[in-house]
Amino acid sequence: MLRRIAGSLFWAARYLERAQWRARLVDVNYHLLLEVPPRDLEPWEPLVRITAEQELFAAKHSHASEASVIDFFVFDRENLSSIRSCIESVRGNLSPLRHLISSELWLAVNRLYLETQGWSAQALAAAGVSAFFAELQRHFYTIDGIIVNTMPRDLTYDLLAIGTMLERPDNVSRLLDVKYHYLLPRLEDIGGPADLRQWAAVLRSASAFEAFRKVYGNSIRVNRVVEILVFDPAFPRSMRFSIERLAQALERISLREEEPVPEHPPCAELLAMLHAGSADQTIAAGLHEFLIDVETRCARLSDHVFDRYMSLE
Amino acid sequence: MDAQRAGISVPGWQAEVAELQPLNEMFDAQGRPRPECARVIAYLLAMESRRLAELGERAHRMFQTMGVTFNVYGDTEGEERIFPFDPIPRIISAEVWAGLEAGLIQRARALNAFVGDIYGEALIIKDGVIPRDMLVGSPQFRHAATGITSPCGVYITVAGIDLVRGADGRFHVLEDNVRTPSGVSYVIENRRIMTRLMPELIRGLRVSSVENYPAYLLASLRELAPRGVADPTVALLTPGPFNSAFFEHVFLSQQMGIELLEGRDLVCMDHKLFMKTVHGPRRIDVLYRRIDDDFLDPVVFRPDSLLGVAGLTAVLRAGNATLANAIGTGVADDKGVFAYTPAMIRYYLGEEPLLPIVETYLLRDTEVRHKVLRDLDHYVVKPTGASGGYGVVIGPSATDEELAQARKRIEAAPADFIAQPVFPLSVHPTLVGGGAGGEAALVARHVDLRPFVLLGEKPRVLAGGLTRVALREGSLIVNSSQGGGSKDTWVLEE
Repeated sequence: MLRRIAGSLFWAARYLERAQWRARLVDVNYHLLLEVPPRDLEPWEPLVRITAEQELFAAKHSHASEASVIDFFVFDRENLSSIRSCIESVRGNLSPLRHLISSELWLAVNRLYLETQGWSAQALAAAGVSAFFAELQRHFYTIDGIIVNTMPRDLTYDLLAIGTMLERPDNVSRLLDVKYHYLLPRLEDIGGPADLRQWAAVLRSASAFEAFRKVYGNSIRVNRVVEILVFDPAFPRSMRFSIERLAQALERISLREEEPVPEHPPCAELLAMLHAGSADQTIAAGLHEFLIDVETRCARLSDHVFDRYMSLE
Repeated sequence: MDAQRAGISVPGWQAEVAELQPLNEMFDAQGRPRPECARVIAYLLAMESRRLAELGERAHRMFQTMGVTFNVYGDTEGEERIFPFDPIPRIISAEVWAGLEAGLIQRARALNAFVGDIYGEALIIKDGVIPRDMLVGSPQFRHAATGITSPCGVYITVAGIDLVRGADGRFHVLEDNVRTPSGVSYVIENRRIMTRLMPELIRGLRVSSVENYPAYLLASLRELAPRGVADPTVALLTPGPFNSAFFEHVFLSQQMGIELLEGRDLVCMDHKLFMKTVHGPRRIDVLYRRIDDDFLDPVVFRPDSLLGVAGLTAVLRAGNATLANAIGTGVADDKGVFAYTPAMIRYYLGEEPLLPIVETYLLRDTEVRHKVLRDLDHYVVKPTGASGGYGVVIGPSATDEELAQARKRIEAAPADFIAQPVFPLSVHPTLVGGGAGGEAALVARHVDLRPFVLLGEKPRVLAGGLTRVALREGSLIVNSSQGGGSKDTWVLEE
């Protein structure tokens, strides 16, 4: 496979994951705010922080309202990480390599893209926010299902997996970090009803709420949320789960080479860190520092994968 | 639907510009269906107006879902468009096609011989059949091509020959495209759509298949492999997603099962060509390129080009890879050289041309120029080096200002232009309206035909080709970049 194509697959998967992630963030926040009258002045502001796009956002909007955040997150073409831009990138990356992916996958991606072409704030208002995101989520799950069920487990599949699994921990890390450090800065609120609702929203944003309930029952505690989103070996969006899948994909790619590499150091190190750690220990030592470390290592791993398999230099 | 509505009437402008009425492809001068079209006409007549109207929309939706699009140069807005498609098929009888096919092969062989000769011994010039300055002055002449030979003597692997049908019913050659002709993917996609729109009709008529084109092309390309390479690696080189024909590049590479490369995927080492893969460099033996000469190799051509690969020309010269089409084939489709193509056929093949060409006047000739300039509004003026309908001035429909400008350009550089009399392109019933509850009607629109000829160890011709239709009433310009659409072309088997 061409190195350029490997890069396109990787980026298509990353953007697809990013689009899904953003859709869930907006959807969850919207529903969170429906039920509780917002006490904070800017209840939409944390979303902009989670994605670390304050600067670009501030250049376009005076404050973070429902309308401005939805516009920025969903429709804005100038924001390269808006859902619309992500979907356009997915299609743009996959379009020249239709021959490598299943035609079902191409058709599903193209259908979603065609839908985005009709998107507008008015259309969203007419459909209703809930219905809009439910429909969008259906598209994403269809695409995920098609990838799993129609694509042979070959190099193409592995490169898509690597993209998805590198994007995921990054997103989870940002979500945890913002919730832990920026929301509810007053000590006395910790453990209160607003705090719990926010942690529940964090879980929902990672589609982890129900999985959490199954393992830990009703009571939401910070360390348990961190456990399931970071260290859980079975939950499909945990950092550990993602990096394990990524390691497996890298191993399969290596095995197809004439001279297989025994190990990818940036991957092995990250994996060791996630295998050895626990939530209590991590929170005690400083969750923020840990998350920054994970993000840095993910970036290093991304560079490593890119240099080894995709760079044209 | 009656014969009148099916496009028998002659568009008003025609009376002013041509004495002859254009031929209607489906009906004879008395309004009777031509025999080969009878079943299609009966089928359309039996159709309810509502269903007829739906045909266009259904086809449009199918194209959209399939993502069959093209890009338009200089269009920053909607980047991707769907090539407008008319669901009324164009029929060519087995007998007419047999004659065309022989003429097309003859023509492609002569043009190919010409390219080989020009970059070799240039006998046609030494023998005085074509004047030397015709070629040396041609912007399409490439010094870099001299001395590069092809393993089986093929320089033009793919030729797209544009034909127009005159009032006398004969197909005439309007121009040749032997650089990187495009459009074949639409032929195949159009057929896919039509087999869904009118399955029973296609089966009943015994329409020749077009599906084998990618297999033919791959076979022709493999035959170009450097000697000694038993199982050659063939790849397609594209300028990338912003090219107007990118869809076709994706389509063909997919259909042939070969890699679709951009210049940055390639590297030349040791006078050999490689592509950069996940598992290291892999050798390429035959490169089907869809980028222009100028961008192929920054060492030899435009140094600022990022689309090609440095060192490619040296690889070709060393005989370690073959390029299709070869460098410099543009000399053969230069619109000035076009006037000499009948002589070329006689010179190289010793045969009489089977296909007539549209009369062509070289404006470099003073006497001819004066005659043309006197009645400029009766002629079509074309720049010799351009393709795709760019820069063409159609006298009868040009404004006084456009004519004045054309005159100025011609006088400044007469050798850069040719003129042709306005040719009465045949018309074909075409579906218009039908959107938003409007009534659908069949009206006459001008059409041309671009068949595709492949040269390899033996010639191969795609049955039919791309019928392009000028969708604007009275328009003679069928290019997709200028508001044209296409139709499926059905060559009937005996």
